[in-house]
Amino acid sequence: MDPGKTNRDEKIILTGRVTEALPSASFKAKLETGHEVIAHLCGKMRMHYIKVVPGDQVEIEFSPYNLSRGRIIKRL
Amino acid sequence: MPIYSEKDVLILKKGGRRLAKIIRILETELRVGISGKYIDELTRTLMVKSGGRPSFLNYEGYPASICLSINDEVVHSIPDSRRFKNGDLVGIDAGLYYQGMHTDMAVTKIIGYSNKETKHFTATAKKALGLAIREAKPGNSVGHISQAIQNFVEKNGYNVVREMNGHGIGRRLHEEPIVPNCGVKGTGQVLKKGMVMAIEPIINMGGREIETSIDGWGVKTKDKSLSAHFEHTIVITDGGSEILTAAP
Repeated sequence: MDPGKTNRDEKIILTGRVTEALPSASFKAKLETGHEVIAHLCGKMRMHYIKVVPGDQVEIEFSPYNLSRGRIIKRL
Repeated sequence: MPIYSEKDVLILKKGGRRLAKIIRILETELRVGISGKYIDELTRTLMVKSGGRPSFLNYEGYPASICLSINDEVVHSIPDSRRFKNGDLVGIDAGLYYQGMHTDMAVTKIIGYSNKETKHFTATAKKALGLAIREAKPGNSVGHISQAIQNFVEKNGYNVVREMNGHGIGRRLHEEPIVPNCGVKGTGQVLKKGMVMAIEPIINMGGREIETSIDGWGVKTKDKSLSAHFEHTIVITDGGSEILTAAP
């Protein structure tokens, strides 16, 4: 039974700099806006072993329905 | 912008009523000594028994059937084995997926006894939802709802959280439009008959800033002040709106 699909069309993408590595491929990052957020590494980056360390500039994707949780989709 | 037919609304109503009943039962279980984990398991059991499924479980990886926030926790906290103590402010937020449609509802409850301020704070969140629903009618805009919430909450000396909002709902858990808890009358999507949305004022006793916990889900107030929220799913009708998550 499919509990409905996620709405993938309207993501918000912001740039930030990783400040700290946390367990389970999660990171603290500071956005250009000054906000500090927690973002987790997306599956594709994990799959391709793309390493992210404090100091990296990354692109973080947010759902407009939950701006507190980000997903790192690119290392710049 | 999804518009739901009378047929769809009947299903949403059925689901909404079931969800409301489940939330009422859960509310009676929010007592000293009970843990969030127990509430979570009970939620899942009740939802499956009602013929549906928890909307939240595995939604974007969320690991539980309910979000359960205690005191300075705002929303999206994963229920755990901590037991509720007298005076705790506990918020439960759950969605039910029933016959292809989602409905979403939340309540906040004081466990046992608390002081006047906490009672007033919780009542403010609840009343903000009521005032917001009153603005939900064809011709008004989302901004009417947002401004109603913001004005009332700030008038009472509290703050509205900006990062989480109300949202359209139905075939998907989150749809257009976003329904912010702060804004200006007359701005945003114009409301039309058949629109279905979850309105959820989320308010903090102290400052509006929040921080995300290490698990990536739970959100807390930055200044450790209390947070409360209430939520109903409604449908816009000819004359105004109807609460779908109303207990029978």
